[in-house]
Amino acid sequence: MTKRWVSLLASVTLLTTVLSGCGGDKETAKNAAVADESKPLEITWLNILHTASPPTDTIKKLLEEYTNTKLTFNWVPDASKEERITTALASGELADIVTLTMMTNSSVRSSLKSGLFWDVGPYIDDYDNLAKIAPEIRAAASIEGVLYGVPFQKNLARSGFIFRKDWLDKLGLPVPTTLDEVYEIARAFTEDDPDGNGIDDTTGFGDRSDLRYSSFKTLSSYFGTPNGWKVDDSGKFTPEFDTQEYMDTMNFSKKLYENGYLAQDFAVTAKTDQQQQFAQGKTGIYTGMVDISSLRTLAQDLQEGLELVPVNKISNGDGQYHIWSEGSGVGGLMAFPKSEVKTEAELKRLLQFVNDLIDEEAFMLMTGGIEGTHYEYDENGAYKVLNTELWQADVQPFSSSRPSEIAYTLKDANPEKQLANELIRENDKFAVLDPTVPLDSATNNEQGTELAKIITDATFKYIMGQANEADFKKAVQTWKDSGGTKITEEYEAAYKLTQK
Amino acid sequence: MKVSSITAPANLHLEKRKSAAVLTAVKKYKLLYLMILPGLLYFIVFKYMPMGGLVIAFQDYQPFLGITGSDWVGFKHFIRLFTEPTFMMLLRNTLILFAMNIVLFFPLPIIVALMLNELRNRHLKNWIQTIVYIPHFMSWVIIVSITYVFLTVDGGVINELIASLGGKKISFLTSPEWLRTIYIGQIIWKELGWSTIIYLAAITVVDPQLYEAAEMDGAARLRKTWHVTLPAIRPVIITLLILKIGSTLDLGFEHMYLLLNSLNREVAEIFDTYIYTAGLKNGQLSFSTTVGLFKGVVGLILVMASNRLAKKMGEDGVY
Repeated sequence: MTKRWVSLLASVTLLTTVLSGCGGDKETAKNAAVADESKPLEITWLNILHTASPPTDTIKKLLEEYTNTKLTFNWVPDASKEERITTALASGELADIVTLTMMTNSSVRSSLKSGLFWDVGPYIDDYDNLAKIAPEIRAAASIEGVLYGVPFQKNLARSGFIFRKDWLDKLGLPVPTTLDEVYEIARAFTEDDPDGNGIDDTTGFGDRSDLRYSSFKTLSSYFGTPNGWKVDDSGKFTPEFDTQEYMDTMNFSKKLYENGYLAQDFAVTAKTDQQQQFAQGKTGIYTGMVDISSLRTLAQDLQEGLELVPVNKISNGDGQYHIWSEGSGVGGLMAFPKSEVKTEAELKRLLQFVNDLIDEEAFMLMTGGIEGTHYEYDENGAYKVLNTELWQADVQPFSSSRPSEIAYTLKDANPEKQLANELIRENDKFAVLDPTVPLDSATNNEQGTELAKIITDATFKYIMGQANEADFKKAVQTWKDSGGTKITEEYEAAYKLTQK
Repeated sequence: MKVSSITAPANLHLEKRKSAAVLTAVKKYKLLYLMILPGLLYFIVFKYMPMGGLVIAFQDYQPFLGITGSDWVGFKHFIRLFTEPTFMMLLRNTLILFAMNIVLFFPLPIIVALMLNELRNRHLKNWIQTIVYIPHFMSWVIIVSITYVFLTVDGGVINELIASLGGKKISFLTSPEWLRTIYIGQIIWKELGWSTIIYLAAITVVDPQLYEAAEMDGAARLRKTWHVTLPAIRPVIITLLILKIGSTLDLGFEHMYLLLNSLNREVAEIFDTYIYTAGLKNGQLSFSTTVGLFKGVVGLILVMASNRLAKKMGEDGVY
């Protein structure tokens, strides 16, 4: 009996020694690779996964070859990034590269500000691709003037609507340019039987339980609502929901909802369900031009004669266009924790790696995959995915990890997608930036998300007729009293500093 | 005085003998004690040691500074919790749902167990038992999704039925007044069958002689159930009730989080969901620990109070 215990104990001890021994060896190997540039550098990357499953190794191997590295990805599903990233920051279980996308999250912000990550500002101009990062983007990605990572560069504003073009044609309606026309289309799509099956089974607007990435925020831009905050000449900050334009947007949505032109259960609908409704021909207007190809794929074999048209220029009747910008073109940071990246030499090699990812060859690997296998260029030089399923499995997860999505312009063989891409680029011209992106407010970091719920809930209730204008004003007052006023003051103070 | 001076050494002597007796007992049954060891270690390592982390409720905990480096802020987070306008809402929602759980759900498995017990056909009984157990093995995601498909206004079965009968569609999923009904209904559907197991087990050990005696006295089925079965399983019922009360504030994060939306938040937000959204998602580890600690303390008080009450009423209690 005793003998057995002793032997068990001994083997456990042995195992522990072996394991810790391994760790030590790895560390030395890594340091050797940092010193010798010809050896592949081992890189671990805590990255966000925007697809259902992680990519296969096909593209990873080619990227490793191209950048002379050995990559280990630790994928965090986008849906659970908040708790996963905050716990990773809390426990210090980080990787050489950490993808941080939630720049307003208090935990992310405080860890950045505390100096957990390298300040890359002094280094990036030494790398040809990174040096090209525009000063506005650097400013937007900085916290109190310090750049704690390489910013993910994205288009300034991607929002816009997608309409069922075949339904518009059938009902003899033009592609809209004003909000009144959008309303008329929503009405006609609901009441005038656009699918011609004689049954009242369609709704104009599909929507989902989200005010920001769904139709509401986009509509509010069309009404001229500021993006997040309005700053006047004297430096006074006003939150968007305290403006008349926001009220107008709510009234517009409320009218849509009351008349049944807006999906009645939108407040509990998930994005995938919203896409399904559109693909099944239950709704005719969708928000989010980037989704145009996936909508077409979903609707394949379901909707005969489906035609889609993306629209980005809709005005409030005054011919002026506005569209809100997400993060002023910054999709987050690729940050390098000091706990993992111990020396400046290692940091430099990592920056070189990120820089290499923006090279055209790496960019194409992460965008389209392998030419001839995943994609090809047709006779007009237009880019075309050959096998969507294969592309989704091998390539798609990488496409959202590209350090820059705007470095190269591809011509898409799908004319709808090509038009949507062009419109997204056109959005740059009238994008409305959120003035608070480069500013810091301690109260907002701590309570902002909770406080925002007060407004979100009140907005939903107002649209669905469960609250009136007085109730909404009361909610705004509650927001102010519970910390909103403090946030406003902090932003004003931070703004003043940047103006000097 | 005299009395105590005499009894004191005697007590001491008794103490000594007692501890000696414990030692002999340990020696005698050392294998049995060895068998407890893994379980004991499990509780110490995974349940007691993490409790030390509760101190971060009194700090402004910053992960990279660690417990030793973070600032101590005393009761700051507790003050924030109790003064936030959401606190009363959270407490009200949690207590109402808890009361519904006890009043509407708790008696049901007992009734079902008694009914199953009365079934004389063994095959039929086994068959029914299997069927009612199945929902327990489904995850909340599936159950909430099924409910969604049934209840949605945009083409849900129930609403289509209401409409075809000439009624007005009801927005079940977005109205605060339906939330509690749906919540408790889902719990009943999922857990009713599974919860009968312990009662059924308790019923099988009831001495058959008692039933025979009752029959001799001319008791019919209902009488036998009331005067024999129920009193026999009463200790089990009390124990389960106390345990249930202990988890008062644990209303099931996953379940409620799936049901929660902007329109029913005023009745649906409970401590569990609040910890997640306000604390963990925002990285406010200290604040969420505070809320969790508060929840734990309330649970502990309730268990102790109900246990004492049970003992006063002449029952055994859980400890």
